Amino acid sequence: MALNGGDEDFEWEPPTEAEMKVIQARRERQDKISKLMGDYLLKGYKMLGECCDVCGTILLQDKQKKNYCVSCQELDSDVDKDNPALNAQAALSQVRERQLAAQSTAPSQAPGINEGPSSSQASVSVPLPRPEHCEGAAAGGESSPASTCCPISFTSFIPQTAGLQPVLQEAEEAILTKLRWATNQLQSSASLESSIQLCSLIASCANSLRSLKELSQ
Amino acid sequence: MEHLHLEHVLQTVCVLESVVLRSFGPEGGQVLFTRDTGQAMLSRSGSRILTALRLEHPLARMMVECVLKHSTVTGDGSKTFILLLASLLRMIQKTACKEPNVSHTYNSRETAEASTARHLADKMLAFALEELDDIIAMGVVPYGCCLSWEDFTAKTKLPACTINHCVQKLLASFFHSRLGRTHCDFISNLTCEMLTHWKFKRDLPSSSLQFVNDNFAALHTPVSGFPISCSRLIEGQVIHRDFATPCPQTDHQPVKAVVVTGCLQPKLLNAGEVLVLGCGEQGREENSRKESSIVQFTAWLQSLGASVLLSAVKQSAAVLALAAQAEMCIVECVSEDELSLFAQLIKIELFLFHRYVHVAFHDSEERVTVKPCSLVICGTGEGQTDQYACAFQDAIRMLLSTWKPIGITATTASKKTFQPDKSTCLHVDNQIVKASPFQQYVLEPGCVIPAGGTFEFLLNHALLQHGSSCSISDDTIMGVPAVSQLLANALLSVPRHIYSYSLRRFLQTQTRLLKTDVSSVQVFTSDSGLESVSCKYQLLVAVLQCVSSLLHVDTVLHTHTALHTPSHRLANISWEGTEDERNTNSILTSFW
Repeated sequence: MALNGGDEDFEWEPPTEAEMKVIQARRERQDKISKLMGDYLLKGYKMLGECCDVCGTILLQDKQKKNYCVSCQELDSDVDKDNPALNAQAALSQVRERQLAAQSTAPSQAPGINEGPSSSQASVSVPLPRPEHCEGAAAGGESSPASTCCPISFTSFIPQTAGLQPVLQEAEEAILTKLRWATNQLQSSASLESSIQLCSLIASCANSLRSLKELSQ
Repeated sequence: MEHLHLEHVLQTVCVLESVVLRSFGPEGGQVLFTRDTGQAMLSRSGSRILTALRLEHPLARMMVECVLKHSTVTGDGSKTFILLLASLLRMIQKTACKEPNVSHTYNSRETAEASTARHLADKMLAFALEELDDIIAMGVVPYGCCLSWEDFTAKTKLPACTINHCVQKLLASFFHSRLGRTHCDFISNLTCEMLTHWKFKRDLPSSSLQFVNDNFAALHTPVSGFPISCSRLIEGQVIHRDFATPCPQTDHQPVKAVVVTGCLQPKLLNAGEVLVLGCGEQGREENSRKESSIVQFTAWLQSLGASVLLSAVKQSAAVLALAAQAEMCIVECVSEDELSLFAQLIKIELFLFHRYVHVAFHDSEERVTVKPCSLVICGTGEGQTDQYACAFQDAIRMLLSTWKPIGITATTASKKTFQPDKSTCLHVDNQIVKASPFQQYVLEPGCVIPAGGTFEFLLNHALLQHGSSCSISDDTIMGVPAVSQLLANALLSVPRHIYSYSLRRFLQTQTRLLKTDVSSVQVFTSDSGLESVSCKYQLLVAVLQCVSSLLHVDTVLHTHTALHTPSHRLANISWEGTEDERNTNSILTSFW
């Protein structure tokens, strides 16, 4: 008895292999969350009847009546690690992917730029492989290949390093933004866990910047 | 309004599981409770830990209430309840995700999963209520033995491995898991002694257990500041109040007592008021009226011929003074339990004990039914003493559940012929008589098996065999084979956690059990202690009922009323004080 009557029939299919992996990863994460929440409950935190707006985890409340979401504030976010704007590793991997895409489109463009739209269409439609567990990143990242592929196809005759520049600059800016954010958070952070994580984020941002500098040279 | 997903239910139960796991099993630790006042207490009791958590989430509170209700009946198994609950919900979710139930069309995957899960839970509950007792009787009971109540309280001299020893072993393993290794033997001996005293000769054995359970508050005295080894039994009843008026020396002679439940006269005199008799003209009439009523009252007291007055309420100062004058001692504010217990016993002898009134009862020649005794439970601190007292009461409840007959329903009784023979009961020389191959297996009360996951291993094996022996025509996930397999797999989580420190030990125990020949089972030489089959069965059914109820909750409606007191029924959490009464009917029921 479907609630919305005769709307489109939902044909149920069992989850695919990839989806099973996602489910497995999510389950492990849930186990970690449950254990952390159990720790907090034993410390005297209260389990509220509300869920976090961002991730849907049950909220805890400490004795000072401050709400606390274990998964948002303590564990690394599930999807953030694949979002290039927030994670240096993801930024690097996206850069590499675009390099690959540029290499594959450059030869195809070489024969005749007069062919124009059709080939550029073809290059735009090449689906870049997305990491498996990142619905958010998949949603967030889908738009970017389309938007950046066009400049790549137009600049296909220009040597590759130059074609990479805007991308590298973008990545650098993203990393610097993140670095700034992490520094601010670190200054105001009270938890040991989050301080450690912020420090490691800063370290990886620095590494990424170094790698980007090497790439641009 | 919050629509409930399977994920929410699972997350809630997983959190409770992670809390409870730390104290589970023989290797489990204790939880240290501290109050803002600085009081500290160590406990391993599942129900105590769960009650101490601050939970506002309605599902969590519902689960905890189910656990508490169950443990009030069986006295044990709160942690196992949560573990089984979590394991079952996980398995149901896994099954619901993997297998389609495409007989209906649904809006989304979540709705499909929720519906599948709900039906699966209902099927499992139905299976448990119909077939589980037979499976247990066939697959688990032969590996255990039946303890008979008469043998337990027999006073004959018996060699080492005797029935009495077995009940003590059952109690000892209970106390071991609840209170630790050190004092479990001592406490189980004390419990056995107490139960022996309170055995009603002409009644059913369970009635004396029931009596002790119902009157436990009046039958024990907690005393803090002494080690547990100071606990002992004393004859008679202890009334937990001091004398309000000086107690005359009785020299252990029988005295007469009167029990009153209301306020006695006179109320004419207030505290602090001074009545001067024979004073001047002023107020003479008033004084003489008071005087005469006092004289009347005193005469009435003396006419009772009683030396002791037990009062349920506080009497006025005037009454106390007059009673003292009449050489009567009064005990005020005696609790209802104690008064009712007292009223059931006859003829008292009176002497003082600590700051309580200790009443000893004479054996009457005509009717020696029982030797009343009271348990003095000592503990180092108030919290600890309270814990010991709770452990005692839970042990009584556990014994009650052990001897509770598992319902042979009307249908099953008609299916098989009931053969009341004693071949499954233990004989004194510790030989288990081989059951004849054509005997109908019956889940007799009082059956115990070795502890340490035995029940779960055996039932797992029996369920898998049952599933494979069923007709293969019903191949869906709702069919009996699938349901019994699901239940079997979920059961294994308990021994898995017990042997979490060593997977090898888990496998070894499982292999050893399944290879054991039924006829050569030696229940009493195992070091692992004993546990009751009946309690385990009740636990399993209770967990399945809880799972079914949880999965039938569709929506949670958050209201603006104040937080509920613990006495409120959590099932009605969405029914009370909702602003929109029209919607209440659809809240906690399933849409399918």
